[in-house]
Amino acid sequence: MSDHNGQVSATPITERVQQLTQLLAPFKKEKPLPEQPKMGFFTDTSLCIGCKACEIACKQWNQLPATTPEWTGTSYDNTQSLGATTWRHVQFIEQIERRIPHVNASDEKVLKLPLFEMDTPVPQMGMDLSALPELAGTPTGTALPFFSTDRWLMRSDVCKHCANAPCQEACPTGAIIHTEFDTVYVQQDICNGCGYCVVACPFDVIARDSEGDGQAHKCTLCYDRLKDGMKPACAKACPTDSIQFGEVEQLKRDAQERLGFLQERGLTDARLYGADDKILEGGLNSFFLLLDEPETYNLPSNPARPSNHVLPTSLGVIVTAAVMGLIGTFFFKQE
Amino acid sequence: MRDTQHEKTERAPTDEAFINKTHSHTSAIEPIPHQSTLLERLASLTTGYTPDSISELKEKTYFDYPAVKAPLWSWEIIWYFFMGGLAAGSYVLASIATLFGKKEDRIVARVGYYASLLALLPCPPLLIKDLGRPEKFLNMLRVFKFKSPMSMGVWGLLTFSGFSGITAMVQASHDGLLGRWWGTRLLSRIPLKLLAIPGSIFGVFLGGYTGVLLTVTSIPVWSRSKMLGALFVSSAFSTSTALISVILRIIGAPAKTLYKLEKIEWANMLIEITCLLTYLRTAGRTAKALVGSEPKEQGPTFWTMMFGGGLILPWLLQTLMLIAGSKQPRQHTSQGQPTKRGGMGLLVSLLVLMGGYFLRRTVVNAGHASSADARTTLWNARR
Ligand code: SF4
Ligand code: SF4
Ligand code: SF4
Repeated sequence: MSDHNGQVSATPITERVQQLTQLLAPFKKEKPLPEQPKMGFFTDTSLCIGCKACEIACKQWNQLPATTPEWTGTSYDNTQSLGATTWRHVQFIEQIERRIPHVNASDEKVLKLPLFEMDTPVPQMGMDLSALPELAGTPTGTALPFFSTDRWLMRSDVCKHCANAPCQEACPTGAIIHTEFDTVYVQQDICNGCGYCVVACPFDVIARDSEGDGQAHKCTLCYDRLKDGMKPACAKACPTDSIQFGEVEQLKRDAQERLGFLQERGLTDARLYGADDKILEGGLNSFFLLLDEPETYNLPSNPARPSNHVLPTSLGVIVTAAVMGLIGTFFFKQE
Repeated sequence: MRDTQHEKTERAPTDEAFINKTHSHTSAIEPIPHQSTLLERLASLTTGYTPDSISELKEKTYFDYPAVKAPLWSWEIIWYFFMGGLAAGSYVLASIATLFGKKEDRIVARVGYYASLLALLPCPPLLIKDLGRPEKFLNMLRVFKFKSPMSMGVWGLLTFSGFSGITAMVQASHDGLLGRWWGTRLLSRIPLKLLAIPGSIFGVFLGGYTGVLLTVTSIPVWSRSKMLGALFVSSAFSTSTALISVILRIIGAPAKTLYKLEKIEWANMLIEITCLLTYLRTAGRTAKALVGSEPKEQGPTFWTMMFGGGLILPWLLQTLMLIAGSKQPRQHTSQGQPTKRGGMGLLVSLLVLMGGYFLRRTVVNAGHASSADARTTLWNARR
């Protein structure tokens, strides 16, 4: 704890005083810093190419140790989830034959795909292969390869920097705060690793570093870089501008515009996630443009705000305790 | 492997083909004729939800990876919840005996106040040990947050410890356990009744806030129903009534007092059953982690050690005993209460204590199973 541990205690009194001030430092209330414009992320998943540059840039800038590699066997995503030492995580969602359940002639909305119409023979055993025209073997009636609806969705996940952050509301030490940029930040000198924020977060984000320092960690929105007027490392590294950093108000306008553009071009399933005030009653300062339902990305579509449960649950406690107290009183009073 | 229902739900053939293709690695696609076990039927009956793997498979998730983080809490928290409940309930019961009891009920107050302090002693070390950085536990006292049950809990525990400690000291000086000197004379002058009411309020807080703590999270099995606080406080009452009657049946107590305790225990168990059933019904599908029988789900332990062996069985036994007891004429002796020891009541109380422990254990462990179930988590967030 003390950086004077190595020294011989020549002046025990001053050491004691120093120790005491260190012990009491977390109790000191400091003046809040002057408000800055709200800063956040707009992660446009339609631009993500899954290069994982953000994952690495974040690890490098924040000097986070690598996690033990594990092959998932499900996709190119071997990171699996955000964690105490992984603050960006790129998902790979393979959607193969996703239109099959929709094949329905009467449905006007179904994308009409250009199909092969040539009535070419399908190659068979013992056939003279040179007699076949080019592109043979593609069965008639299937979609042309470049109009295929098979797709790969990629998304770089990160802390949502919720306007009403459940982790911050739960934290019993006050370690988690909203900074002057309205980002959610864990003060490492204060966190004592109680783990309540971990179960409070509805998005599988914050985690305790049980192998490391035993404290809770997550994306800081590069608080250190923000203080120096720099872009967060992940946004800087993103080669396609899928991760856009800026003032939240401006980002939300940009996001609306981008959504309109995509929808105009037929991506009717595209939607914004967390850009309005609906999620957690205040929206997310780090929001997303998704190409499918939130659940496809393991995102809860309308998570409850845990702190809203305090009152109804407490009411249940009071009523039950009152009933039981009255029963106890009644039986004790009996002869 | 997911269990499959035999009643087939209506579904389009194309959808089934789709499921077969996207989930070819899960082999239990074809509805296997499946005889639902007794526990599964109980689970469906109490929660009102029958697991339907066909429609659940259609729900979208990201490779079934968990959608919320697993809790970090294990045995320390389970024991803390149990001991904290005992400390809280014993104090409240002792206070009720002090305020409203007859002369012979004093022993309940005495035993209750001591038991409360003893049960409380392991609580702070358990809580501190559970932290990632135990040496920084004092940071909990930096803030006072109404929105955070853990913050409120720390302050509540602190205040209750004060009340429990002082009350036990006053009781001890009444009983002459601390010797006779000016300190004990001063202590014994503090009226117990003055401490009993505020102390009991904090006792109720300690017994119930643990349930609120779990509810104010994003773990589906804990947070969907708002009854967990009521359930925990009712269990705190019934386990501590059981604890006190175990102690009284070992050291011996007036038969009349024991009879009163039996009736209180019976009523408390009835309320606990009501709370538990309401909890299960309101938690619905999310209660699967607690009552289901899939791997990691707590069903088998829950039904046998908690619901069956730790609640319904002792309640039935207690009912029988009360019926049998009311038929016997009670002899009223004006002086010299007949004292009683042992008896069936001992068994009932021990079963209740077991049930209380397993309630905390299965509920906490169900949180782990629930956090791993992405489909239910996302379903729960659809609201
Ligand atoms: S996403 Fe989770 S960790 Fe991030 S601010 Fe919101 S609640 Fe906290
Ligand atoms: S683990 Fe740390 S940051 Fe999280 S709630 Fe506990 S004290 Fe706060
Ligand atoms: S903002 Fe900084 S800390 Fe957060 S994910 Fe990006 S690089 Fe990592």
